[in-house]
Amino acid sequence: MAIKKKRYALVIDSRKCINCKACVVACKAENKVPVGNFRNRINEERKGEYPKLSINFEPEQCHHCADPSCVRVCPTGASWQRKDGIVLVNYDECIGCRYCMVACPYDARYFNEEEGVVDKCTFCSHRVDKGDIPACVETCPSKVRVFGDLEDPTARIHELLSTRRYRVKEPQTGNGPQLYYLL
Amino acid sequence: MGTIRMDRRLFLKSAGATAGAVAATQVGCLRYFKKGRSSAAETKEIPTTCELCPNKCSAIAVVEGGFVKKLNPNPENPKSRDMLCARGNAAIKQVYDPDRIKQPMIRVGARGEGKWKPVSWDEAFDFAAKKLSEVKDKYGPQGTLWSSTEGFQEVFFKNLGLAFGSPNIVRHPTLCLASVNLAYSATFGTVPSFDLLNSKFVIMSGANRFESIITPDTMDLIGGVMERKAKLVYLDPRFTVTAAKADEWYPIKPGSDLAFILAMIHVIIKEGRHSKDFVATYTTGFDQLAEHVKQYTPEWAEKETEIPAADIVRIAREFADAGARALYYAGRRSSWYQNDFQMRRAQAILNAIVGNWDQMGGMVPNAKLPKGEFLFMPWDEPKAARVDEIETAFPLAAKGDGVYLKLRENVLSGKPYPVKGWMVYKQDPMNSLPDQAKTMKMIEQMDFIGVIDLQMSDMAWYADVVFPESAYLERTDPVEVMPGIWPAVVYRQQVVKPIHDTKPNLEIVQGLAKRLGLSDYFDYTIDQWVEAEFKDLPIPMAAEHMKKHGVWAASGQPSYGKTLNPEHRFVTKSGKIELFSERLQEAGHDPLPVYTAQPQPRNDQFRLILGRVGYFTHANQSNNVWLHEFMKENDLWINPKPAERLGIKDGSYITVTSSVGSVKLKARVTEEIRPDCVFMLHGFGKKSKMQSLVYNVGASDAVILETAWDKVSGNAAFHETFVKVANA
Repeated sequence: MAIKKKRYALVIDSRKCINCKACVVACKAENKVPVGNFRNRINEERKGEYPKLSINFEPEQCHHCADPSCVRVCPTGASWQRKDGIVLVNYDECIGCRYCMVACPYDARYFNEEEGVVDKCTFCSHRVDKGDIPACVETCPSKVRVFGDLEDPTARIHELLSTRRYRVKEPQTGNGPQLYYLL
Repeated sequence: MGTIRMDRRLFLKSAGATAGAVAATQVGCLRYFKKGRSSAAETKEIPTTCELCPNKCSAIAVVEGGFVKKLNPNPENPKSRDMLCARGNAAIKQVYDPDRIKQPMIRVGARGEGKWKPVSWDEAFDFAAKKLSEVKDKYGPQGTLWSSTEGFQEVFFKNLGLAFGSPNIVRHPTLCLASVNLAYSATFGTVPSFDLLNSKFVIMSGANRFESIITPDTMDLIGGVMERKAKLVYLDPRFTVTAAKADEWYPIKPGSDLAFILAMIHVIIKEGRHSKDFVATYTTGFDQLAEHVKQYTPEWAEKETEIPAADIVRIAREFADAGARALYYAGRRSSWYQNDFQMRRAQAILNAIVGNWDQMGGMVPNAKLPKGEFLFMPWDEPKAARVDEIETAFPLAAKGDGVYLKLRENVLSGKPYPVKGWMVYKQDPMNSLPDQAKTMKMIEQMDFIGVIDLQMSDMAWYADVVFPESAYLERTDPVEVMPGIWPAVVYRQQVVKPIHDTKPNLEIVQGLAKRLGLSDYFDYTIDQWVEAEFKDLPIPMAAEHMKKHGVWAASGQPSYGKTLNPEHRFVTKSGKIELFSERLQEAGHDPLPVYTAQPQPRNDQFRLILGRVGYFTHANQSNNVWLHEFMKENDLWINPKPAERLGIKDGSYITVTSSVGSVKLKARVTEEIRPDCVFMLHGFGKKSKMQSLVYNVGASDAVILETAWDKVSGNAAFHETFVKVANA
């Protein structure tokens, strides 16, 4: 069987997000994230004066960019990118200099004090490699996130990105983020 | 439409992508990687049923080396809709919580002093049995109270109280949804489900479904509203997440929802927008209703509710036009005001006249599934009348559940008879009842208190003996049929062995029963009980199926309209849907909902309102380290206008004082609440030092809430308290 190229991405329908934190706790359990650290979070924007008010929630995590600045700045090559686009940290090579944390436009990385390394979302690559979807995607009550392979024309993210308007965050960085937020 | 979304995962699972096919790469798992633990440890996936809240979602536990590593949602449950919320995910930390009660303990200091002696199960059982027998000898079996919260093993506890001879079983509904249940029963003879998946127009009074998660309603409604299939009109004094997502939000004057609903009925009937055929065929009392609501004009309601009359008229028209697919959503924890029952009744009546009964997108009577029963030896019915005098004080209320606040009043007064022994199963009356000082008095006047719980709740902290229950992931429970639009059967099976010296509730009940001479009534194992229940399930190879899948759901589309037959007899006095209720009239209540204006706070007062966030809904969740991370301390929401007047700054400590108590907590100055209300979250300010994350942190609403209840159902009225706020 010919090995097909893959490119994993996430489409996010923030309007459906109710800030219930299921994704955050599922990630914590799945990836053994220490208490006090988070690989994903929900950004909140609260505006207005009573009674003209609005609240917007926006899930945030590593954007698994096409040309990730974290990988570019890493002095040891610990931050690296798989062929399918997933950006990872090789913990044995990480020296904890945290350049990558500064370089990330999304504040998606944290320093694991206990291990002395930088850590971040892996798109649950260990699940994805088994044919499962990331824990945050799976557990979500309102199914805010859709995970898929951009190279697969039958993937639901394809349909969403071809029929809905969307934006990416911080496009000016040239990182080529792969989290697509539906408008 | 009407179909349940089944996700890729289910497909992949059934396509045989099972463990072992591909070795897991453990790149993401630091500890494994660094510490060289084998990632090839045997991984098992065991389906079970979550117990962090009453939703009973299906989960698949991933177990490695005897430890629960992860809980994944089980897509086969149509009610939990392939999701697991933050609380469900955090259940792992319930098992591995260092604060758990790790062995039976007997109090050695004063009550609440926190001095405990770890004892053997035999000692704990002997001690409790001796104390219960002493109370029985002195006051009769009715001198004992058996209170419990909802759960699959609650039945065993309740049965022990009854077998012991006490009529005083008190369950959670009158702290929760008794008024809704009674209002819908009084109108339709049953409590229906709400088909939010297919509804087109939904009105919600305060039910905050996007933070107070109820399955499948939360997921169905967010999908419907965000995909523009449904319109949501939301009434709440607070700008909740539900308000933020709604098409229209009205910060209604608290306590006036009934006026809004009556005015809607007024408009719909006046303009002839009700479903005339349905009303004529299936209901009784329409003429009386039409006459009754003439007084409730939108202009009148505007003054009561502060919602513009023009909006009330427009909403009424839109609602009626959506007809069978319009819903006035009932909600849970419907315990707000002393008129709560009548407010819920008015909702039921409004739903009835637009003809949404048993319709797709409307209210649907619950489909049920048969289940076998284990036949145990029956006991004699308790002889004494209930201490809460439910028969005379609340003749329409559910007798088996009791009426909690009236019960507390009577226990405190010692009338009609003294109650001196209190057994508690997994409930925390210290935090779930208003007026903690009163609950404390009730505790003080008890000769004996025994608590069965997983964690050292505030109630357990004041007990004489504590029996540690195994966590849900450590035990097997009775089978539960979940009636609904998509009925299902769920099974909770043991996932891991208990890590401490704990027992499932049944074994705790049996240990007590043996010493109380009641063993014959509890002469079975959980496996025998479950086997008997499996027998009548409509599932081929039921036992095997339930053990393998954890859930079974009737396949296919919901069957709407089964009761839409003119010959159908509703379980009401008239056999019809009762818009006008003779039964209520006979019981001395208004046969049609009558509005009386609620008292409002004066200038220097605020109304205290309560609510939830998605990751804490019950007081037993705030000490969970993975949930606690999101909120370390509760605060008091106060609008900037009164805050400025009172010189209160955001983040500063303030005192909040009612007629029954005073608490200190941080102020959260926010636009997201009416200026005449303040709000605080439940579950903080614990007195138990074994709730270490929330011990003495923030404040417990129970300290300042005053005692009040709905007149018909006896449901606690939690929004009747006025407080004063000042800088601490």
